[in-house]
Amino acid sequence: MALVTLEGVGKTYRGRTGAWEAVRDFSLDLAEGEFFCLLGTSGCGKTTVLNMVAGFEQPSTGRILLDGSPVERPGADRGVVFQGHDSLYDWLTAIENIGFGLRLRGMGRRDRRAKAEHYLHMVGLDGQGAKHPSELSGGMKQRIQIARALANDPRILLMDEPFGALDAMTRAVLQGELSRIWAETRKTVLFITHDIEEAVALATRVGVMKRGPGGTLKAVIPVDLPFPRERTSDAFMAAFREVHALIHDEIHGAH
Amino acid sequence: MTRFTVRTERFATIAGYVAGFVLLFLIWHLAAVYLVKSVLFPPPIPVFDRAVVLIEDNILQEQIVASMRRILQGFLLGSVIGIPIGLAIGSFRIVRWLLEPWTEFFRFIPAVAMITVAVIWFGIGEESKIFLIAYTTVFVVVISTAAGVGAVGRDKIRAAQCLGASRLQVFALVALPATVPYILTGMRLAMANAFVTIVAAELIASNDGLGKLLWDARLFMQVEDIFVALVALGLLGFLTDRVFRLLIRAFAGRFNATV
Ligand SMILES: Nc1ncnc2c1ncn2[C@@H]1O[C@H](COP(=O)(O)OP(=O)(O)OP(=O)(O)O)[C@@H](O)[C@H]1O
Ligand SMILES: [Mg+2]
Repeated sequence: MALVTLEGVGKTYRGRTGAWEAVRDFSLDLAEGEFFCLLGTSGCGKTTVLNMVAGFEQPSTGRILLDGSPVERPGADRGVVFQGHDSLYDWLTAIENIGFGLRLRGMGRRDRRAKAEHYLHMVGLDGQGAKHPSELSGGMKQRIQIARALANDPRILLMDEPFGALDAMTRAVLQGELSRIWAETRKTVLFITHDIEEAVALATRVGVMKRGPGGTLKAVIPVDLPFPRERTSDAFMAAFREVHALIHDEIHGAH
Repeated sequence: MTRFTVRTERFATIAGYVAGFVLLFLIWHLAAVYLVKSVLFPPPIPVFDRAVVLIEDNILQEQIVASMRRILQGFLLGSVIGIPIGLAIGSFRIVRWLLEPWTEFFRFIPAVAMITVAVIWFGIGEESKIFLIAYTTVFVVVISTAAGVGAVGRDKIRAAQCLGASRLQVFALVALPATVPYILTGMRLAMANAFVTIVAAELIASNDGLGKLLWDARLFMQVEDIFVALVALGLLGFLTDRVFRLLIRAFAGRFNATV
């Protein structure tokens, strides 16, 4: 059975400017342990899909199941890494941010600290735990967010363009780290991006979205390349071209 | 190295303040001696001489203590009432609908306009002054606290929710600490209002305090006394604000790097 199932999910926003159908008839099964990249142009509805899986928003049509039960609200079984880093708590240190979910569950101070240190190490920030978010770089903040989500041991990790605001070099480094962490933990991941190379580098499957209104899943392509992936290899290039051909129409198609 | 730079920076700040005050008194001196040349505008030196006399007679200290005690009592009372109300307005839509008309109504009635009411209700004793200071403090603190709650980033709350936080946990562990800088800023603004209010209240109805000193000086045409009171007010306000900023740094600096 799939870990997460989206069945004919649609979302229509109603506001001052009338109704806007952001997502239409979106169906997808996410298997336990896979790294699924959802790829699409800006405004096609990627964040809307993620927000519904996270439980921040309710679908207008269709339904979303986690382990067979409908998603109704946000919960600790779905960890989210946000696009910006406004989600970190400025008044807590890095280590306290990572241990925040454990604190909510009433875990004792010392256990919490030990576990948080473990994840701090996993995201490569040993020795930086006492710093506050204002003393960390953008890349470090995203690492903290990832560690915070992982420390809570969710069933699935939902990531909304987590590296979108970083420079190209930092982004490549973090992609490598994330790939390594995923290989270590085999956590199920739903990862949103509009960067084809990022998707091909990370994913076991790439879903390409059709642009809105009524954004929906256009095609799903498996990426059967071994990790760590060599970005200059022929096989990587071939996968890149395949995805690129699909998304090309979305970027340049008449509208 | 860092200790050294922190020290020199602090020294430079203090030196800047001293230079600023020296310049202020110099201009005052020049204006009084060469420009205005009137007994109604004394230069700084006789004013300082007079201040020394008032301090030796223990008069100035008494007035300062009287005014500052009222300010602190009213200010603390107003903050203690204002913070929970502001938190409730910011957190619950129903409370906002109910109470926002109140705050929007009363904040346009300045404390100075309430002096007569305060005197009728509480007499010219301490209660009326404390009421007025608390009154002027409450609305500023309520409004900035409520604004702070409203300004908590949506992602901060969502992050807590998907880490498993209950509504109470979201409030206590996210909304409240995120609002602390707003609360402190509101209190700092309220402190400035408190100075305005206390002088006006003491001018009209009081047996002591800096406002009373001003009033008596006017009655007996002791121009130097007026200026002593004015300088004392300025310095007290300045010092209070510094102390407040230090407290904000000490207790909440880590809440917000920009404080
Ligand atoms: N709260 C909302 N109210 C009204 N319309 C919305 C709302 N949120 C999103 N939309 C609209 O839905 C569409 C999809 O938005 P969404 O944020 O999901 O796009 P996206 O694929 O994540 O884009 P990007 O890559 O730029 O983040 C957009 O046209 C957007 O204007
Ligand atoms: Mg988005």
